[in-house]
Amino acid sequence: MSDESNSVPAEAPERFAIGISFGNSSSSIARISPEGKAEVIANEEGDRQIPSVLSYIEGEEYHGTQAKAQLIRNPKNTVAYFRDYLGKNYKSIDATPCHQSAHPVQVDSTVAFSIRDTASEDVNTVTVSEITTRHLRRLKQSAADFIGKEVNAAVITVPTDFHDAQREALIAAAKEAGIEVLQLIHEPVAAVMAYDARPEATVADKLVVVADLGGTRSDVAVIACRGGMYTILATAHDYELGGASLDQIIIDHFAKEFIKKHKVDPRENERGLAKLKLEGEATRKALSLGTNASLSIESLTDGIDFSSTINRTRYELLSSKVFAQFTDLIQQVIKKAELDVLDIDEVIFSGGASHTPKIAHLARNIFPEKTAILAPSTLITALNPSELAARGAAVQASLIQEFDKEDIEQSIHPMVTATPHLRNAIGVQFVSGEDVDFQPLLNAETALPARRTAQYSVPKAGGSVFVRVCEGVREIKVTKPEPKPKAEKASDAEEDDSDFDSDEDEEEEIRETVWKTDKAIAELAVKDVKAGGKVELMVHVNSDLGLQITVREVGGQSAVRGAVESPKPTEN
Amino acid sequence: MASAQVFNITLPALPEGWSADKDFKAVGSVSAATQRNLEPVGPHFLAHARRKRHQRTFSEDER
Ligand SMILES: Nc1ncnc2c1ncn2[C@@H]1O[C@H](COP(=O)(O)OP(=O)(O)OP(=O)(O)O)[C@@H](O)[C@H]1O
Ligand SMILES: [Mg+2]
Repeated sequence: MSDESNSVPAEAPERFAIGISFGNSSSSIARISPEGKAEVIANEEGDRQIPSVLSYIEGEEYHGTQAKAQLIRNPKNTVAYFRDYLGKNYKSIDATPCHQSAHPVQVDSTVAFSIRDTASEDVNTVTVSEITTRHLRRLKQSAADFIGKEVNAAVITVPTDFHDAQREALIAAAKEAGIEVLQLIHEPVAAVMAYDARPEATVADKLVVVADLGGTRSDVAVIACRGGMYTILATAHDYELGGASLDQIIIDHFAKEFIKKHKVDPRENERGLAKLKLEGEATRKALSLGTNASLSIESLTDGIDFSSTINRTRYELLSSKVFAQFTDLIQQVIKKAELDVLDIDEVIFSGGASHTPKIAHLARNIFPEKTAILAPSTLITALNPSELAARGAAVQASLIQEFDKEDIEQSIHPMVTATPHLRNAIGVQFVSGEDVDFQPLLNAETALPARRTAQYSVPKAGGSVFVRVCEGVREIKVTKPEPKPKAEKASDAEEDDSDFDSDEDEEEEIRETVWKTDKAIAELAVKDVKAGGKVELMVHVNSDLGLQITVREVGGQSAVRGAVESPKPTEN
Repeated sequence: MASAQVFNITLPALPEGWSADKDFKAVGSVSAATQRNLEPVGPHFLAHARRKRHQRTFSEDER
């Protein structure tokens, strides 16, 4: 009713937020389209994966693909692979990725690059923060040009191991670029969000592995999705594994071929190596779709042109060791989460190197059939792995764009995010004859408080039924097949390749998950249910582990309710 | 809140001789919880944060 409520505040400009994924190798920008779909935006060159590279020639700044091309002619004034240096102490960084571009130097205790970034001959020391600001400014401009509207805010994705100093440095660098960081969110969670935000997605409890296979590093995470909320259960990182490891295989392969013909090693020539790397990467990417790819480089070394081809089978053979490192990392994180491959409902392949068909195929063989492997080569409806993080960030940006700064800060505060999670599943025990079975209603790792409702059938004739609410634990049941009778074995051996086969058959055991009822929590009766009726159970678990339980006949008048007290603190 | 899940499973008949006041009997308690951090993203988390900050229950929140 006051004056202010009627007048539009003049100061605060309208906030317009996008999603940004910022990698060492490439970055992407995304928005929610007018139709409500998350979409990655192409920059003026038409790139949706924009190399995180800046290059300077005569004071002019080049960005993205144009800058990356300068790694051949102008490596000293080209800055690449800098994201992981942000907010870090110079002593703690690994400078390896920058061997073929501007080298990181120490300024105070932080990281900088000595480059000629103006028209003058002077070499300037430009901090990684300033480089980040310039990169983000270009991304922001590309987004604004596409949307036709000023962009002044963003949700940016960061790796799960980004520490506070890195986060602060990124927020400050973005601010310098005129971007208000609404929130930093974790890359693998953004990937899950990208899938969950699709209109056809339903809210379902699931355990997801996100394999983010990038250029210079690979990061994997196990995420519990419970009632649409996400909790990271474990992470694992390999800072030396990524697309660049595969580039090296291609480089070595073609270099050897070149040496055979011309008796010189193109890798010993700086420019030759840079050309091999850039073109080799393109060849490798082409092998993600085609079964053959070519490489053609003018004046690779000593003025000799080089062109050749490689087929996918050859490439996969040469890369088998590196491929195994990717799948090892996936298995490692599952182990770290104290889970089994049988527990995993989905594997989301994210990051550029996830386009590699063989990696997804190898993962397919590790997991049981019911595990969905979300990668381009294993599922036609898979989203583009290179776009997941940015899309997820755009979804989150659209959700919080209208919130006050204070509102966002309070919501992401540890007071709100630190949450007790169920250790075991809570569900209902079913006994029929000898068999005792358990049907979970709330899964382990559900964040509290939580409430779930389910309906169950009753015996055909109706009558009074028993509801036993219990904790359940899943166990892995291993069944060894009966050893084969001798006769069969002998006949097997007559077949050509049977030796190998029958051995394998014998080894193969059946592994499955089974539920075991652990401890009973409450018992309830629903009296005189009519034939063909249904019973509805609602379990509400408080943050202090107290329960409220309600059962009723569906459509019935009265309900049975009760409470279970939270365990005594001394029990913990 | 998501609606009821429907399980195609038949509840057992009430055992002979089972009885309890108001047909409800608490027989145990839930195992100690694990403290973890929720990822502060997505619509469901935002609803969780809203309830927690305003100390509202699910049903109050739905009103
Ligand atoms: N279609 C493709 N097939 C195979 N590899 C691809 C494809 N597209 C991109 N890549 C590779 O993905 C890598 C870049 O992945 P991404 O964009 O996810 O990197 P990033 O997260 O920025 O990298 P970093 O791990 O260095 O932080 C590069 O090595 C690139 O060659
Ligand atoms: Mg990455």
